[in-house]
Amino acid sequence: MQVFFQTLVGGLSLGAIYALVAMGFSLVYRTMGLVNFAHADVVTIGAYVASTFYISARLPFVVAMAVAIVVTALIGVVIERVLRPLENKDFDLMLIGTIGFGIVLQALAVMVWGATGRAVPSPIRTAPLDVFGVHIRTYDLVVLAVAAGAMVALVQFLQRTKRGAAMQAVAMDHEAATAVGIHVGRSNAIAFSIGAGLAALAGGLAGPLLYVSPTMGASLGIKGFAAAILGGFGSLPGAIIGGPAIGVLDAFAAGRFQGYSELVTFLVFTAIIMIRPTGIFGERTVNRA
Amino acid sequence: MRYRVGALALLAVAAWLLPYQLNLYAVHVVDVAIVFALLAVGLGLAMGVAGQINLAQIAFFGVGAYTTAILTTRAGLGFWPAAVLAILAASLTGLLVGLPALRVQSHYLGIVTLGLALAFINWITNAAVAGGAEGISAIPVPPLFGIDLSSEYLYYYLELIAFAVALAFGLFVVRTPLGRRMRAMRDDPLAAAAIGTEIPLLRMTAFVLASVYGGLAGILYAGLIRYVAPETFSIGNMFLLLAMVIIGGRRSLVGCVVGAIGLSLIREALADFATSAQLAYGIVVVLTVVFAPTGLAGIPARVRDALRRRRGHSIASAALQPFQPFDPAPGAGAARAAVPVLEIRHVSMRFRGLKALDDVTLTVTAGEIRGIVGPNGSGKTTLFNVVSGLYRATAGQVLLDGRVVSGIRPYQLSSLGVARTFQNLRLFANLTVGENLLVALDRTRTWSIWRYALWQVGVWRQDRELRRQADDLAARFGLAGFAEASPGALPYGIQRRIEIARAMASSPRLLLLDEPAAGLNGEEVRQLAEIVRSIRDSGVTVVLIEHNMGLVMSLCERVTVLASGAVIAEGTPAEVAGTPAVVEAYLGDSTIMPAPPPIATQVTR
Repeated sequence: MQVFFQTLVGGLSLGAIYALVAMGFSLVYRTMGLVNFAHADVVTIGAYVASTFYISARLPFVVAMAVAIVVTALIGVVIERVLRPLENKDFDLMLIGTIGFGIVLQALAVMVWGATGRAVPSPIRTAPLDVFGVHIRTYDLVVLAVAAGAMVALVQFLQRTKRGAAMQAVAMDHEAATAVGIHVGRSNAIAFSIGAGLAALAGGLAGPLLYVSPTMGASLGIKGFAAAILGGFGSLPGAIIGGPAIGVLDAFAAGRFQGYSELVTFLVFTAIIMIRPTGIFGERTVNRA
Repeated sequence: MRYRVGALALLAVAAWLLPYQLNLYAVHVVDVAIVFALLAVGLGLAMGVAGQINLAQIAFFGVGAYTTAILTTRAGLGFWPAAVLAILAASLTGLLVGLPALRVQSHYLGIVTLGLALAFINWITNAAVAGGAEGISAIPVPPLFGIDLSSEYLYYYLELIAFAVALAFGLFVVRTPLGRRMRAMRDDPLAAAAIGTEIPLLRMTAFVLASVYGGLAGILYAGLIRYVAPETFSIGNMFLLLAMVIIGGRRSLVGCVVGAIGLSLIREALADFATSAQLAYGIVVVLTVVFAPTGLAGIPARVRDALRRRRGHSIASAALQPFQPFDPAPGAGAARAAVPVLEIRHVSMRFRGLKALDDVTLTVTAGEIRGIVGPNGSGKTTLFNVVSGLYRATAGQVLLDGRVVSGIRPYQLSSLGVARTFQNLRLFANLTVGENLLVALDRTRTWSIWRYALWQVGVWRQDRELRRQADDLAARFGLAGFAEASPGALPYGIQRRIEIARAMASSPRLLLLDEPAAGLNGEEVRQLAEIVRSIRDSGVTVVLIEHNMGLVMSLCERVTVLASGAVIAEGTPAEVAGTPAVVEAYLGDSTIMPAPPPIATQVTR
C-alpha cells in the first residue's frame, strides 16, 4: 500500500508537468488546428535556459524560470511568423514545418549546451514530508501548486479578457473572426507564445526532477501529447485531467515493465486513439485536421 | 520521349561505371545513400502520393534489418530465406502501423506513427533477442552465385539493380490506376469515395507499400553493414529521412531519390560538423515548406509556369468544344413505366440539436429529372449527403431500385450506380483533367491490385483501355483540349462541366447534381440543360438541387420543395409555384431562417 501511494505521488508531480505540456499543445491546436511538433524541443530549450540562469548565473529559481519563459515565448512568435503563410491552407505542410523547427531547436540546444546532460539541484532543500509513511518531497508540492496556478491563470485569461475571448473566437471560426476585425495572425502568435511559455514552465519545473539533456523534451513532449489526446485534444480541462492520468499510468508502467514502460505507454496510447480519437472531453467540431 | 530514353540510357551507363571512379570509402557512402533512397521512395509513396503522414518509415527499415539479422544469426537461416521473411515481417508491421489511419488522419496520424516508431526503438534497445544497445553483429555475407558480396564494389551492383527495379515499380504504380486512386484520395478523400474509391483499403495499401520499401532497404542495409544497432533506427534519422523527402519533393518519386542521395552525400561530407549540418537541414526543411512546398522536383514546373505567365500565354488556350449528346437508350422517354429508382422513406437527420432533415419522404421514378428546391438551409445538400452515403441518416431508409442502401459506404453506393457532383466543386486539384476522368472510369475493385505484384502486363493493358475511354469521354463533353490542364487553372464553367463528366464516367443509374448552374452564365446554363436532358435520355435518372428557377421550370418534370428540412410541396413546376406554402417559404412572413446545414467537409468517415 505504501509503495502504491509512493508511486502515485511520484506520478502526480510528473503528471502536473505533462499537463502543462499538454496545455501548450492544446492551446495551439484549438486556435490554429495545428499540432506543434516543435513543442517538445521548446520544452528542452526552456529547461536549459532555466537551468543555465539558475546554476551558472546564480539567479533565483523564479527569475531563471521567468527568463526561460520569455525566451521560449519569443521562439514561439518566430515559429508562428515563419509558418504564417501556410496557416489555414495546408496543415500537413505546417506540421512538417514544425518538425523542421524541432530539428533546428534540437541542433541549437546541442550547439549551445553540448550533447551531455546536466543535473539541476532542487531549489527547495527542506526534508521531505512524511505522511503516513509516504515520503513527499516539498518540491513536488511546489510543482503541483505552480502547475495549478498556471492553469487557473490561463483559463481566466481565455474567459475573462478581451484578447482571450478573441482567441476563442479564432478557434471557433477564423474567417468569422477576421470579419469582425480580429487580427487572426496576432491571435495565433499569442497562442503560440503562451504555448511555448507553458513548455518552458514545464521544462524548467522538470529540471530538478529529471535530468536536463537534449532529448529530455522528446519524452516529455510525447507524454504531454498523450495526455492531451487522452483528455481530448484541444480541450484545456482535458489536458488538466489527462496529464496526471498519463503521469500515474507512466509511474505504474515503469514499476511494472521497467525498460519496456515506454513501449507499453505508446501501445496504450495508440489503442486510445483508435478507440476514441476525440478523447474524454474532445468535441467533434474541434477536430479540424 | 526519345530524349528521355537517351537520358535514361546515359544515366544507366553512368551508374554502371560509377564504382570505377570511386575509392573504397566513397563506394561505401554511395551504398548507404542508395539504401536511404529506397527508404525515401517508400516514404514518398505513402506521404506524397497517398497523403498518409508516416513517421514510422524508420521502423519498417528497422524491422527489415533486424528480422534479417535475428534470423541469420540466432535461427541459423540462410540470408535470402531470412530476407523473404523480413519482407513479410515488414509488411505485417506496415499493416499494424496503418491501422490507425482508418480512424485518424493528418496530425493525429503523424503522432501515432511516431509513437509506434518510438515503441519499436524502445523494444530493440531492451530486448535480449535484438542484442540491446550493442545490437547484432556478424550477419553473414549474402551468397549470390559465387559472387563475393563482401566487396562493397560488387555489392553496389546488387543494390543498383534492386533499386532500379524498385524505383521503376514505384513509378509504374504512380502512373497507373492504383497510384491515380491514391493521388485522388490525397487531394480529396470525400470526392474520391463518392466516385467509388475504397478509402480504408487504399490507406492500408499505402502503408504496406511504404513498409515493403522499408523492409527491402533494411535487408540491403543488413547485408551491406552486416551489423545492426538501435542508433541507426533513431527518430533523428527518421526526421533526416523526412527532410530528404520534403526537400526533394514529396509528390515526385524521382525528387525523393534526388533528395535522399543529395542529403546523404552532404551529411557524409559534413560528418565532422554533424550538429551544424542538422541545423542547416532543419532550416532548409522550414524554408522548403514555406517557399517551395513541392520541393526540388517542383522547381522546373514552377519556372515553366512563371515563364509562361511572363510571356502572357493563358494556360487554357484550348477552346471548349460543344457537347456531343449521348445515344438515347432504347425506349427511354416514351415508355415511362413508373418504376421507382430512388425511394427516400421517413429520413431524418440530426446534428446534435439541429434537425436538418425532418421525416423526408420522396420517390423518384426511372428516367425522371427531379428538381429539389428550397431556401438556403432547407436541407437539400444534407439530403444528397444522406443519399450518397456521406452521412448516416438518424432515422428512416433510403432505397435504390427497391434495395435498402441507407448506412452503406459511399464507394459501395458508387458501385451500385449512384454518382454525384458537389455544390462547391471537388475536383482533384493536383491531378490533370484527364486523370480526374480516369480515376472515375476505373471500376475495378481495389483488391484487384494483386495484379501489381503478379501480372503487371494486365495492369498496363487496363490502363491503356482506360485512357482510350477517357479520351472518348473528354471528347463527348467537349473537353478534349483540356486533358493535360490542371483543373484549378480553368474557368469556373469548364470546371463545372468536368465535374459532370467525372460523375458520368462511372456510368451511373442515378445522377445527383448539387447546384450545377451556380456561377454559370446564360449560355452555359443553356448548354447545361442540354447536357442534363441528354444524360436523362441515355437512361440515367437525374436529381438536381438548383436555385436557378428558370432552369428548374424548363428542365424538371417534377419538383420537390424543402423548407426547414421538411417536404412542403411536390408536383409539376407550375403546381409547385402556385402553392401558398412555397410562396411563404421563399418570400415568407414567418421567420424560417434555420442555420445553414453543416458542409460536407466536416464528415470524417
